[in-house]
Amino acid sequence: MKRERGFTLMEVVVTMAVFGLFLIIIVILTAEMRQNEQRYPINYMAHPEVVAVMARLRKDIVDTKYYPMSFQGYSQSNKTLLLYTLKQTGFGETVVYDFRTAGEVHRKAFNATQLSSDWVARGVPDFEVGAFSLSTGQDAVRITAKDAQNQLAIDQIFLPRAHD
Amino acid sequence: MSKERGFSLVEVLVGLLILTIVITTTIVMFTERHRRLRQANETILAYQALSNEVEIWRRIDFAQLDGQPPTFQSDTSILQPLKPFNAAVKVDTPRADIKNVTFTVRWNKGQREAHLSILRADTGGKGLW
Repeated sequence: MKRERGFTLMEVVVTMAVFGLFLIIIVILTAEMRQNEQRYPINYMAHPEVVAVMARLRKDIVDTKYYPMSFQGYSQSNKTLLLYTLKQTGFGETVVYDFRTAGEVHRKAFNATQLSSDWVARGVPDFEVGAFSLSTGQDAVRITAKDAQNQLAIDQIFLPRAHD
Repeated sequence: MSKERGFSLVEVLVGLLILTIVITTTIVMFTERHRRLRQANETILAYQALSNEVEIWRRIDFAQLDGQPPTFQSDTSILQPLKPFNAAVKVDTPRADIKNVTFTVRWNKGQREAHLSILRADTGGKGLW
């Protein structure tokens, strides 16, 4: 008696054709996904730490009365931001945002010259501080951050509200 | 005696049908998730540009709102991935002392749109909402 074992050529061909079809679909989908990944910057706003940094910055800048040029060894630069901002009590405090450490944001608040709070956010992109002058003459703060592919991912302008 | 082994045609067809449903569903889910993530990314970028523009327009004197060019005054570099896009500003005056300023960003051949509006009131002062 002749005993057949294994697959016929037809079975192997059909299986490979079906497998090849799925492979093509997956390759097309992943290629499109990669293309989009390269086109769009990282959505940092989906990261809670980044949102927390932006929220604190917004609050502090909106309540800012003026920007001190230097304070306690810090000076205004594209990696440090100095603000004299109002607290909920109505009294002011000097706030320093220090973006010099890669992946970290340090917010130090000073009551007169005494450090009153020190807050650190980690796992955040490298922020940069820039000035943005409005046509009205007011000075806004522009916060930007780029992703690893050097694409602009965060670009926010914050403007102090009118205090007088 | 003939002893048949293997699957019948019906069994194979049912198996293929189930496999097709599973694979099709997976592919649809994959592409839909991908599409929504892309749209979320686009929306985040658009709203950053919109909020930047609001910061500028909320400080323009009430009397000068109508005389402004109907385009964005802020840097729109953040919208680079949405190119070609259209950014426009529209000022409506429902009442003499009220103006509605609407900022709109359109992209993807006008199929996608994000807009933000602010209401400006003539308070008589300067630099106020």
